[in-house]
Amino acid sequence: MGSVTSVILRRLGGMLVVMLAIVTVTFVIVRLTPGDPAAMILGDQATVQDIADLRERMGLDRPILEQYATYVLDAAQGDLGQSLFLGVPVLDAIAGSAETTIFLTLFAILIAVAIALPVGIISAYKRGSVIDQIAVAVSMLASSVPSFWLGLILIQTFAVSLGWFPTSGYGGPGAGFATRMGHLLLPAVALGVVNSALILRFTRAAMLDVLSEDYIRTARAKGMVEKRVVMRHALKNALIPIITVVGLSVALLISGAVVTETVFGLPGIGNLTVNAVMRRDYPVIQGTLLVVAGVYVLINFLVDMLYILVDPRVRL
Amino acid sequence: MIGFLTTSACAVALLIGTAAFAAPPAGSKLTVATIGEPATLDVQLSPVILVQEITQHIFETLFALDTSGVAKPLLAAAMPEVSADGLTYVIPLRQDVTFHNDAPMTAQDVTASLMRWTKINSKGKAAAAYIDTIEATGDHEVTIRLKERFAPLVAMLSQYSVIMPESTLADPLVEFVGTGPFRLEERRPDQYIDLRAFEGYTPPAGEADGYAGAREAMVEQLVFTPVPDANTRVEGVLAGQYDYADSLPISAFDRLEASDVAEPVVLKDSGWMSLNMNMKEGVLTDVRLRQAVANALNSNDLMAAAFDDPGFFTVNGALFPESSTWYSTAGMDIPAEGDMEHAQELLKEAGYDGTPLRILTTRQYEFNYKMAQVAEVYLEMAGFDVDLQVSDWATLTSRRGDLAAWDIFITNSVFPPDPSMHNTFTASYPGWYETPGKDAALASYLSAVGEDAQKDAADALQTQFFTDMPIFKVGDFNSLSAASKKLQNLEPAVWPFFWNVSVGN
Repeated sequence: MGSVTSVILRRLGGMLVVMLAIVTVTFVIVRLTPGDPAAMILGDQATVQDIADLRERMGLDRPILEQYATYVLDAAQGDLGQSLFLGVPVLDAIAGSAETTIFLTLFAILIAVAIALPVGIISAYKRGSVIDQIAVAVSMLASSVPSFWLGLILIQTFAVSLGWFPTSGYGGPGAGFATRMGHLLLPAVALGVVNSALILRFTRAAMLDVLSEDYIRTARAKGMVEKRVVMRHALKNALIPIITVVGLSVALLISGAVVTETVFGLPGIGNLTVNAVMRRDYPVIQGTLLVVAGVYVLINFLVDMLYILVDPRVRL
Repeated sequence: MIGFLTTSACAVALLIGTAAFAAPPAGSKLTVATIGEPATLDVQLSPVILVQEITQHIFETLFALDTSGVAKPLLAAAMPEVSADGLTYVIPLRQDVTFHNDAPMTAQDVTASLMRWTKINSKGKAAAAYIDTIEATGDHEVTIRLKERFAPLVAMLSQYSVIMPESTLADPLVEFVGTGPFRLEERRPDQYIDLRAFEGYTPPAGEADGYAGAREAMVEQLVFTPVPDANTRVEGVLAGQYDYADSLPISAFDRLEASDVAEPVVLKDSGWMSLNMNMKEGVLTDVRLRQAVANALNSNDLMAAAFDDPGFFTVNGALFPESSTWYSTAGMDIPAEGDMEHAQELLKEAGYDGTPLRILTTRQYEFNYKMAQVAEVYLEMAGFDVDLQVSDWATLTSRRGDLAAWDIFITNSVFPPDPSMHNTFTASYPGWYETPGKDAALASYLSAVGEDAQKDAADALQTQFFTDMPIFKVGDFNSLSAASKKLQNLEPAVWPFFWNVSVGN
């Protein structure tokens, strides 16, 4: 137990250092990027003086070090500032987008795993068979399909032609939870199918490795039923690479499936970040990058902890 | 053939007399898919198309423009009484106007709002240079005294100079309380802006005509939803999810026309394209080289490259489209296909030394980039060494403020209601157009009295514009939107408005 506690403490310390580095790097990158939020707010009519006036009113003309110090001190107290465009605190803007992204990620990853895990296991178990070849070919195809293209096809088929689903958005004013979730189904399928390809290939490869191990042969020689050999002995030992790739997929999706969110007009973290970059909403760019990086770091931490849980021999 | 709402719009203009609020059908809702989330709902601060499109339903100005671009009273009870010397404008206010917070509109609210407008709006700041005082001279009367004659004052009081309760005025604005037919119910950034019919609304008198005249909320709920992907907006309106979709790709026209659910809406002369030149620093400070740029370019090819379908653009170098009362050909002498030989002569005469001509453009607006590519070819044919610099729009808007960073930027604009309100005539606008000739012509225009004198002065201003060539105006374009076939009484407009529009079955 003692060594696990020390691993956890060591990793938490590392996470803090990483977060501080992220705060600094994002602040510097955002300020070095050309473009001006004041010019974006004022539009095409603005003169150079108009832009300078608004910069002053927004405090953007203050010395960069002063702005950095204020930002770090406020961030340490949980205040990520106010959006320059949305009229709300950055944390509220992120919280407003979080529901969409969390549930989209959840649905997409459930769909991806539901496709990839059984197909990957069967494909490995029946290596070289027609089923295996079809599975490999389909997974190659799925990984090559851009999610935005698949999204548009799904919209045309299931929303426009059949009218079963909404084309885009998140339900509008007063939409209940079920309605909002209904808006996530098509994008979740688009993301799930594309992500399933990678998980399927990892599952298949990991299972192939494990199925050729001596202890599997031994289990079979002992007369153990095949289902138990595959599910209990092979799959459990193949889980580490599968967990890694699922974790990476979750981290990628949670940081914003930007293209899919744009195609489906979903107000998720990805859209929030991209819009903030396009209009140079400094506090929102910094805030979303910080939160997303924090989630990344946290997911990596949790995946590491899962390694220990799945295989106590693992030492980090 | 383009036969649809554009031509039929005027025929369906409403005849609604001044009347009390008539409740729209319960549960009626109109959903608009917009190109994105507006930067703010403070239209005094941010006079951009999207902000104006949404907020015009919440806020109103003293005057509003009719379909001919002529100002008509909106919150004002009548047109202003102008003194003989043209320096005093007495504006009577309507007495039946109520804000969304149920407070009656007073002259004090109007003066406070206009004062704010002169401090934070770019056009308001320009007007402030001519304004001596803005005073409440009665409970329902405001008087504006000018230092010098200022012809576009009423036109300026018809856009962006919205009236809000004095108690809500702040910077930044946090309460969005107006007098419009719809009030703000809820804004969820990147999700929706939910407006509801304002029960205390009393429409102005007169026939509905463009943005002017009678207005009435015909639906209980008006929702603006940001849908950044243009193809998704097309699919959404075709599927019946949206009742109106803004700014669609021209390639969607045929699908929209064939649809049973929606139909195309073409907004004629919704904007214009230009190559704006840096007159203060760099290669193009020499007027001969600016003239060389203008002569080198073939406007037909530039517009065709940018907008593809000839039904969606008009080559036009004048400051206003042919449909405008301000349209004039005064001073125009360069053919639409350009004059390459003359351009080459001008280059030689000016002693062009091969310094690269830096053109700023963006791929964020594909038509902007395509135009830049064709311009690059023609300018190189004339003898310029062109350095095409591509960036995102935010970077471009920032860089064009830097005197030393560019020679030409490509942009698109909407037509202002008055010749003097063209951005390029503002000396501090990037390009820095300031010549004795322009200053004199602009001053003559601003002090002109009477329609004929103003028209003559506007012609002289345009002639001076072509002499100085601060920008090269390429042409005017139409834009494509789409509306559900259920919508009734929709009038195509640059800033589409949804009062007087109902949703049928």
